[in-house]
Amino acid sequence: MEIKLKVFRYLPNNGNKPHYDTYIMQVNPTDRVLDVLEQVRADSDPSLAYRRSCAHGVCGSDAMRINGRNALACKVLVKDLGTNEITVEPILGLKVLRDLIVDMDPFFEHFKSVMPYFINNEPLPSDGKERLQSPEQRERFDDTTKCILCAACTTSCPSFWANEEYVGPAAIVNAHRFVYDSRDRAAAERLQILNDQMGVWRCRTVFNCTEACPRDIQVTQAIADVKKAINSGKLE
Amino acid sequence: MSSLKTTLSGYAGYRGREGHYSFLLHRITGLGTALFLTIHIIDTSWVYFAPNAYQFAIDLYRSTLFGIGEIFLVFSVLFHGVNGLRIAFFDLIAPKFWQIKKTRSSTRWTLAVTLVLWIPAAGIMIYNILHHNFGMFGG
Ligand code: FES
Repeated sequence: MEIKLKVFRYLPNNGNKPHYDTYIMQVNPTDRVLDVLEQVRADSDPSLAYRRSCAHGVCGSDAMRINGRNALACKVLVKDLGTNEITVEPILGLKVLRDLIVDMDPFFEHFKSVMPYFINNEPLPSDGKERLQSPEQRERFDDTTKCILCAACTTSCPSFWANEEYVGPAAIVNAHRFVYDSRDRAAAERLQILNDQMGVWRCRTVFNCTEACPRDIQVTQAIADVKKAINSGKLE
Repeated sequence: MSSLKTTLSGYAGYRGREGHYSFLLHRITGLGTALFLTIHIIDTSWVYFAPNAYQFAIDLYRSTLFGIGEIFLVFSVLFHGVNGLRIAFFDLIAPKFWQIKKTRSSTRWTLAVTLVLWIPAAGIMIYNILHHNFGMFGG
């Protein structure tokens, strides 16, 4: 099939302004948007820059706005877009470094700010082995273990567009993963970090994050869980 | 990009689902209501501070244009209120409702409930405008 691909282009410090390049190309309906970008690089313009690594929805490198909506380019089939015109733009709210590549540093700073690692300084159980957990306890935070840090959620959030200081859905999801882990001991500290104007309370329940998540994480629900935990002082 | 520009381009350009548009409508109706309340507080204070200006304001409220604006004001208050209740219920009481299907359908329901409440009110208001300003229905 023939498609018209419009790609956001920007190369700083080169006197050139952000603009869009258009390519008319022949592709298979079952191609993914990532394949289409690879085809541009191979056939027409090797200078087109974007991130990708695994090409299979695992590494989270290639989140971008495809026809106005955040997604992983490696998980979107051309035929599923329902149109021959495809517009690809960088995710919104982070500084564009080049073409489709944005500066992810602020995103990862927010991630780090919630202490996204296991904390438990108590002595090991008497057998010196694992800290055990029931299947139900594990199930409680299963959903939020799935995050691949692609930033599709955070950069779909109007609160984040308006204020880069907002910790963002991805960081809250990763806090949730440890807050609800029965083996972890730093839930109170994490909740305190998130009990802030730039923490969970900046969430306006717009729901773009949940719609955008390529791993189908119930992001808004996780944020609401954390809000509820802060309000009630209880982890349910 | 400044954050204002990013925000506005995101508001207008992001192709979100129901949640995105419901958020935008919530913002617009909220700002509209707040603007009206501010104006209304000021003009009501004129009763005391500037009685002549108050009379002028009242005449303005009775004008057709303002009457039409008030019909939209009622929509704004109703939508903002109903949607606010939906969000408060989901967020504070039942986070498990924040699922794609439930969110999509509940935003549609919110709009439906708003319209059911609004249409009769709008009907009465349109009747009043026609009655008082255009002499219809024996006015
Ligand atoms: S390239 Fe790894 S997630 Fe798409």
